[in-house]
Amino acid sequence: MYSNRYITIYTLIMTLVVSIVLAFTVTGLKPFHDAAEAIYKKRDILSAIESQLPKKLKDMSDEEVLSLFDSKVEQVVINAEGESLQGISAEKVDMASEEKKPENERKYPLYIYQSEQGKIYLTSVRGNGLWDKIWAYVAIKEDLNTIVGTAFGHVGETPGLGAEIKDNPGFPRQFEGKKILNDQGDYVSVKVVKGGAKDPLHEVDAISGATITSVGVSEMMVRGLEVYLPYLQAQKK
Amino acid sequence: MDNLLNIFIKSAFIENMVLAYFIGMCSFLAVSKSVKTAIGLGAAVIFVLALTVPINWVISELVLGPNGIFKTDLTFLRFILFIASIAASVQLVEMAVEKYSPSLYNALGIFLPLITVNCAILGAALFMVAREYNFAESVVYGIGSGFGWALAIIAMAAIREKIRYSHVPAPLRGLGIAFILTGLMGMAFMALMGINPATYMQQ
Amino acid sequence: MAETMTKTAVEKEKLEWFGPKERKLITDPLNDDNPVTVQILGVCSALAVTTMLKPALIMAIAVTVVTGFSNLVISLMRNGIPKQIRMIVQLVVIAFLVTVVEQVLKAYSYPVWKQLSVFIGLIITNCIVMGRLEAYAMANPPWRSFLDGLGNGAGYGLILIAVAAIREFFGRGAFMGYKILGATDEFLLNTSKHWWLSWYQPNGLMVIPASAIFLVGIFIWIQRSRNPKLVDVS
Repeated sequence: MYSNRYITIYTLIMTLVVSIVLAFTVTGLKPFHDAAEAIYKKRDILSAIESQLPKKLKDMSDEEVLSLFDSKVEQVVINAEGESLQGISAEKVDMASEEKKPENERKYPLYIYQSEQGKIYLTSVRGNGLWDKIWAYVAIKEDLNTIVGTAFGHVGETPGLGAEIKDNPGFPRQFEGKKILNDQGDYVSVKVVKGGAKDPLHEVDAISGATITSVGVSEMMVRGLEVYLPYLQAQKK
Repeated sequence: MDNLLNIFIKSAFIENMVLAYFIGMCSFLAVSKSVKTAIGLGAAVIFVLALTVPINWVISELVLGPNGIFKTDLTFLRFILFIASIAASVQLVEMAVEKYSPSLYNALGIFLPLITVNCAILGAALFMVAREYNFAESVVYGIGSGFGWALAIIAMAAIREKIRYSHVPAPLRGLGIAFILTGLMGMAFMALMGINPATYMQQ
Repeated sequence: MAETMTKTAVEKEKLEWFGPKERKLITDPLNDDNPVTVQILGVCSALAVTTMLKPALIMAIAVTVVTGFSNLVISLMRNGIPKQIRMIVQLVVIAFLVTVVEQVLKAYSYPVWKQLSVFIGLIITNCIVMGRLEAYAMANPPWRSFLDGLGNGAGYGLILIAVAAIREFFGRGAFMGYKILGATDEFLLNTSKHWWLSWYQPNGLMVIPASAIFLVGIFIWIQRSRNPKLVDVS
């Protein structure tokens, strides 16, 4: 049996050694963490406009992604009234924590990509799936009406059903060429409908068996894009 | 309120620790030979989860988070502090039970120290962080996932008691058939998938 | 690592580096003393990460590193650990190693880190790690404990990788993320591309978590029919 004093000293020394070594490891690796996280996020954002990029994302090295992002992408943050805010970059806006704020205090990130065919506006939308949050980057062309690409993500939708929004490349591609405004110029967004899309401009097919995820995507597309409208309308003039 | 009930149902049935994530399998397989011991361990797990998930919530919000008492991001200490707080609370529970209810202690006694290394306890704490629950939600989540774990182990023990009278091929006896049974139970629980209590309550 | 190795070498002059006993420490857990299928340890955390081969491979390496080094550290410390707080000391050492592994993974393989999420943390309560510390490292010299840890980690990894390879192949028609069977993404958009692969319909059962458990059950069946000594008599 060991004395209490021995145990106390033993515990203290062990705790000290462990926490100091860990603190050093973490501080040493911090720059790598930040770089890896930034690249991951940038790849995620760019995947919505993969068709517009000079080459496929998976063939691009990390440096190429960074330099493309630096040279071609402008970052804007807008508030709930659609005014752009100064002194903050879109990357710093975390949609998950914005969601917890009251609606009129939220900030929304917007990335503007300079493609050869003009500006592409990359918006972020976030909503609820069946189990948990789902989100998407929606890329809108310079006419501020036509969608050129989307990239979906989710926390934990059912594999093979709800998770198809991300796993099946056919789902996001349905959105390409869809319009968010109708002929009269009113906002209608794009809806996900069961049993075959009828309106070729504003509807896409739902994933069979994943009703609630599909409803969630519809709701997210309508509510999420609407907040960008004032800003986009202002760009038109 | 709806939200809390939703979390309870989700953690107990739909995203059952054992049957959907296979967390806590070691003791699930080792201690499911008789219903009586399974009930004892199940009760102990519910109790410990209901205690440690909120404690770990407090640790991760007030000590480790950037808004905590140290004002810095200490999340790299999360694993060590979580497991230490779990070990300490299990020890405390053990001592308290021994002092105040010797009969319960005798029933649970041997299982209590084992619970520290039950993956379900740490798993629930880590899921609680990953899903960003608030305090009330984490209490409900702890109770719910404990309840789900207990349900799974008791059901499993009951099946294993009965299966002794069946002609299981010799190499599959014991562990092998237990695995296959767990898989079948997991598939049965998958039938609950797609049920979102919140949407029913809204209607 | 080099430092610890020389240290063990000085301490263990009489013991061989790779004698028959040492080799047995590595090979036994791969087969007749497999931690998963024979000792029933460590099924807990990681079967949920076996839908694809790549995360399973990384998980297997992470577990092997943790079991090896925790055995080594505890074996070096074994004479000074106060009995009363033995378990907490072991857990702190394991949690420390797991944190290091997690941080390294986060820095160098961020997408995989994101995919594995809470399951890296669950290595701490993986029963193999604790089980080997108690059963071996507390009573044996460091070098052998290290080998024992590596062997058991590898035995566990073997099952993990086998399950993941089968699930990815039949569930997605792919190997390490490369499509080798079934309709490709290009085929879904243009049926004239890669049509020769599209005859295979991926098996949905292999994607759901329960299939991992079935596969382990089947592995146990095969192993025990080949080696009747392992059959459970009770």
